Amino acid sequence: ADIISTVEFNYTGDLLATGDKGGRVVIFQREQETKSRPLSRGEYNVYSTFQSHEPEFDYLKSLEIEEKINKIRWLPQQNAAHFLLSTNDKTIKLWKISERDKRAEGYNLKDEDGRLREPFRVTELRVPTLKPMDLMVEASPRRTFANAHTYHINSISVNSDYATYLSADDLRINLWHLEVTNRSFKHTTVLKKRLFLRSVLTATFFKKKLVTDLQFSNTESIGSCKSWQWFHVELCVLSAVFEEPEDPSSRSFFSEIISSISDVKFSHNGRYMMTRDYLSVKVWDLNMENRPVETYQVHEYLRSKLCSLYENDCIFDKFECCWNGSDSTIMTGSYNNFFRTFERETHRDITLEASRESSKPRAILKPRKVCTTGKRKKDEITVDSLDFNKKILHTAWHPTENIIAVAATNNLYLFQEKVN
Amino acid sequence: MLGRGLKRKLSDYEENMAGLSSAFDSSRSLPYPLKRQLVLNMCLTKLQTYKMLVEPNLHRSVLIANTVRQIQEEMRQESSQQPVNICPGIAAASHGYAGMESPGIALQLPSGVGQQESHCCDLRSVEDPIENSLLIVSDDDMSSAISSILKDLDFVEDISPPTCLVPTGDDQPKFPENTGLKLEDDRQDLKGAECVFGSFEISNSTSYLKDLAIDDIFEDIDTSMYDSDFCCPPLMPPRSPSLATEEPLKTFPSCNSSSANNIQICRTDLSELDHIMEILVGS
Repeated sequence: ADIISTVEFNYTGDLLATGDKGGRVVIFQREQETKSRPLSRGEYNVYSTFQSHEPEFDYLKSLEIEEKINKIRWLPQQNAAHFLLSTNDKTIKLWKISERDKRAEGYNLKDEDGRLREPFRVTELRVPTLKPMDLMVEASPRRTFANAHTYHINSISVNSDYATYLSADDLRINLWHLEVTNRSFKHTTVLKKRLFLRSVLTATFFKKKLVTDLQFSNTESIGSCKSWQWFHVELCVLSAVFEEPEDPSSRSFFSEIISSISDVKFSHNGRYMMTRDYLSVKVWDLNMENRPVETYQVHEYLRSKLCSLYENDCIFDKFECCWNGSDSTIMTGSYNNFFRTFERETHRDITLEASRESSKPRAILKPRKVCTTGKRKKDEITVDSLDFNKKILHTAWHPTENIIAVAATNNLYLFQEKVN
Repeated sequence: MLGRGLKRKLSDYEENMAGLSSAFDSSRSLPYPLKRQLVLNMCLTKLQTYKMLVEPNLHRSVLIANTVRQIQEEMRQESSQQPVNICPGIAAASHGYAGMESPGIALQLPSGVGQQESHCCDLRSVEDPIENSLLIVSDDDMSSAISSILKDLDFVEDISPPTCLVPTGDDQPKFPENTGLKLEDDRQDLKGAECVFGSFEISNSTSYLKDLAIDDIFEDIDTSMYDSDFCCPPLMPPRSPSLATEEPLKTFPSCNSSSANNIQICRTDLSELDHIMEILVGS
């Protein structure tokens, strides 16, 4: 198993796709509840595995292109097959995942095992019939969108017209049509050239439900999140800038780095947006641009360790965040295989751990606590004994139910709310 | 249940840094300039390392470069308020840094040397510019070193020799553009002595998008500076030496021909490059 690099539920939550560092995509399907196996509700089993991207070599620059899957996005289902977009640093591919449970038998010209029949043996014509067979799930690449990005692709987002999608790297956003692979439709460089390169795009996606809205965040010094509105395909107008004024008392050498936004997610109801920076998660009301409405500290105890974290590059870790289906709870990851959920209304938060030792199947997860003061209580962990190599960067929440997928290095954990 | 804690790297230099960075985090008593110097050293080390990587992560490079700029701007403001003096603690650190092999630093020395020559002509001889520059421990050198690294990262329009540290209050260029800058001709902006870390960038950084005109947004970025052509940057492009040679000759007739120095320094760069390549390939 390789390090998981992205996790994504599809629109119904029945399928869960994971991409890993080796370019593989593994899709899990939720088991249907059946009378014979009532406890299997909620279990996800492997549905399909395929190699999405291979390592490539860019001869022009003498660079190897990693096959690591950066993002997977499902397309809404329109027929029996499932479609998803998967991307590595440079190339986006559209995959079709289809089931086959029938096989044609009784061909005239060839035997069952495929060998050609002798012509003189063909004495009568018959119509091939469809016979059932074991379910086979096939993944086939349908489109390859390549050669449009100089830098590493960090975001893809499907438009609500389901015909176009965007891909973004550090500096550019390309708009593609799903049917056209030899060029991207319109690309817009959103960063002004005159500036010293101070900002790169970190997360870009279409706002839901509105064909014309585009959202991206960049590494502005205060970690702002900019929203663009496309009135017409060629025109791009800055419509809103979300920015929180910096608190001068907390300024340090690393202020800019830790305020860099690593993930942006809209709420399901479209009214709020959540941004993740290194130490906190902020919820913004889309109508209020000057400050977030809620701020949650994920691991504030790391603020006093920033220099060490900068030295070992952990400060650049890009954590993701996600909403639950009803937008009442948000979740994000941390170090030591910890992940945290915050309930917005009740202001309750909990720290949980995704590891084999601390969770057995069907056992209830025990809340964890990091000790920030001198006196360590039993079961608490001190900041210094946190394992910074065990980071939970990728998490996903089922669109309607309380099922979460947590990627801890090369293991995928699925947790479900206990139902009595 | 105990984790392994923070990663430690193996090299001596980095081990020292690791110790220092925990000292930074845990101790409140470290003087601010020392903390700042520590962070600056880490940033510059990282930038050097990233330059050698096959495909540097642009996001990280930008963040680190911004941090360096911020520190540099602070130092510049401080030094513009006080006379430039040599602080022993900082001197030791910057000497340690300047001792690191780096084509970028070696390259920048000519203009740094030019600086020294212009302002401290009586202090050191011209014949041995590199050695003297390595021994010089002052903010000028730090700034030159930083400029060299950042200019490799930046598609800077406003070029500046590091005159900004000497508060002449004078915006007219005393020196031409820095040697070694790879700028396209149509974007060369000879505004002159404006510092690479122009204050307008730093103070207005948060609202630049609000101030943009719509048309400006769509111009293409030239990011050739950020591309990791690490075989190329240390070598000066052909046209710059001519500029560099002409102007210093005009301004300082007393100096020996800078072109000879440039060639000397080119050779040094190449041999340093070779050395670095040896290390990389050997490892």
